[in-house]
Amino acid sequence: MRKSYITIIHELGKLLLSIFLLSVLVFTMSRLAPGDPLYSYYGDQVEKMGPQEQEEARERLGLHEPLPVQYARWFQGAVRGDFGISYKYKTDVKEVIAGRIGNTLLLGGLGFVIIFGVALLLGLFCAWREDKWADRVVCGIGTVTSCIPEFWLSLLLILVFSVWLGWLPSSGAYSVGMEGSLADRVRHLVLPLTVVVLGHLWYYAYLVRNRLLEETRADYVLLARMKGLSGKQVLYRHCLRNAMPSYLSMMAIALPHILGGTYVAETVFSYPGIGTLAYESARYQDYNLLMLISLMTGGLVIVGNMFAKVINERIDPRMGLKTGGMSEEVKD
Amino acid sequence: MKKRFPGISLFILTVVIAGCLACGAVMTKDPAYMDLANSNTAPCRAFFFGTDAMGRDVFSMIWHGGRVSLFIGFLATLISTAVAVLVGSVSGCAPAWIDGAMMGLTDIVLSVPGLLLTVFLQAVLGGSSVIGLAVVIGLTGWMSMARVVRTEVLQLKNMDYVLAARCLGGGFFHILCRHLAPNFIPSILFMAVMNVRSAIVAESTLSFMGIGLPVEVISWGSMLSLSENALITRSWWTVLIPGVFLLVTLLCLTNLGNYMRKSGSKRHSNL
Repeated sequence: MRKSYITIIHELGKLLLSIFLLSVLVFTMSRLAPGDPLYSYYGDQVEKMGPQEQEEARERLGLHEPLPVQYARWFQGAVRGDFGISYKYKTDVKEVIAGRIGNTLLLGGLGFVIIFGVALLLGLFCAWREDKWADRVVCGIGTVTSCIPEFWLSLLLILVFSVWLGWLPSSGAYSVGMEGSLADRVRHLVLPLTVVVLGHLWYYAYLVRNRLLEETRADYVLLARMKGLSGKQVLYRHCLRNAMPSYLSMMAIALPHILGGTYVAETVFSYPGIGTLAYESARYQDYNLLMLISLMTGGLVIVGNMFAKVINERIDPRMGLKTGGMSEEVKD
Repeated sequence: MKKRFPGISLFILTVVIAGCLACGAVMTKDPAYMDLANSNTAPCRAFFFGTDAMGRDVFSMIWHGGRVSLFIGFLATLISTAVAVLVGSVSGCAPAWIDGAMMGLTDIVLSVPGLLLTVFLQAVLGGSSVIGLAVVIGLTGWMSMARVVRTEVLQLKNMDYVLAARCLGGGFFHILCRHLAPNFIPSILFMAVMNVRSAIVAESTLSFMGIGLPVEVISWGSMLSLSENALITRSWWTVLIPGVFLLVTLLCLTNLGNYMRKSGSKRHSNL
């Protein structure tokens, strides 16, 4: 009991340290990258301002001080929950993000649920029909879908469903004036969601399939078969259960990647989410916005990894030294 | 499950690579020449794959641009593999606290949003050139391979032959090259091939989003960066054809990579 408290405190400390280091890293990286944040604030008007005015503007935004001082100032605010204002939107960054995060959570969250539901089913199906024609067909199609670059898939979908067939809208999260309509939102969600799902699906389905195939080669399967259980029963009751820890830890690691990996789909479909916001803020030096988004997505990755580790260790104490079974291969 | 040799994939890949390397012999036109009178022409006898919005011949651009895309794929993989092997093996051999710190740092780098890392590296290294972009992609893709190398090294370093080599006074690089690397190469070979794949995807995605190669530097990615306009003018060939080339190359690489993957157990299913 006592030991687990210490572990929790230890892990929590590591978590905070990681997030602190992450913030330092992102802070220095964003400020060292060339580019002028004044453009983000004033737009093209910067060119009309004299050097005197530019200097004053910099001073107002607190950009004239040395980096460590700027970081300390940011840090002081951040611990109190004040992350500063966005240069481009000129309001509190939390408000800017709050206005958009729902869209991304909807897209990424729905994508996540579909990906893992379908991946499990596909993995089970393929393991059940191993090396039969059905498995081969699914594997073939899966490999092809996993190879299609997301942006190109998006273009293809737009070309077919918006330009040629005219069935679905090609951009935005809703039509103007139809913000409340559910049907309209769903229509706008279909194509980006397809891209998000297809971009990740086969990767995870294949991992599930291979993990299950590994299980079916264990001796206990032979024993269960000798007891008289059918192959299907063994697969569902024994193999699936043994593969569950890796499946769960895979989910923990995948969550931030799927939630944070929607930016390609968001960009192509001009879907107003965090992904497009992150892209803008990174390119146009909207420092405060960039910091908060990075901390959110990075923090999610760190927490996800930690969960994966805990799941593995809790369910299978032998995992203590190795880090994650299947999770080792999960892509970045 | 018996693995079949991916002959077809290898053949197609060879054809694509050979075509790109010898693009001078394959091309029918100058890929950079803008024939504005014939812009957005559908595929026909003069222009096998049509022309893009700037009147450039898509057929010639594909072979010429493929060279850039493949080069970036291979160079980026070379860089990321080198970094991964170095970080992974140093981390695996070092005392526990250095190992912990290095892996912790790797995790933190991994948690920086990939996009920010790319934009930053690109701004610092001046990444709108071909080599610059390859370096950027290489430096953002070494983390997961480094972890695999480390896990392998952790198991290998306690082997008797490594101990023997150390007793005989073998230095770190000697042991790495002669004893460790030959043992972990099979398990990262598959990842390396997959890295070529993801580097090519990264190049095309970045160029498409306007933070990779500019339109003047022809690559499969920069060819597709004009495709949003192509959607409006309905010139499907500028979207479809480079994409299909890209896809087929990626598919062949995947098949090749899967073939190289260490096959788990040769046993039959007990199910």
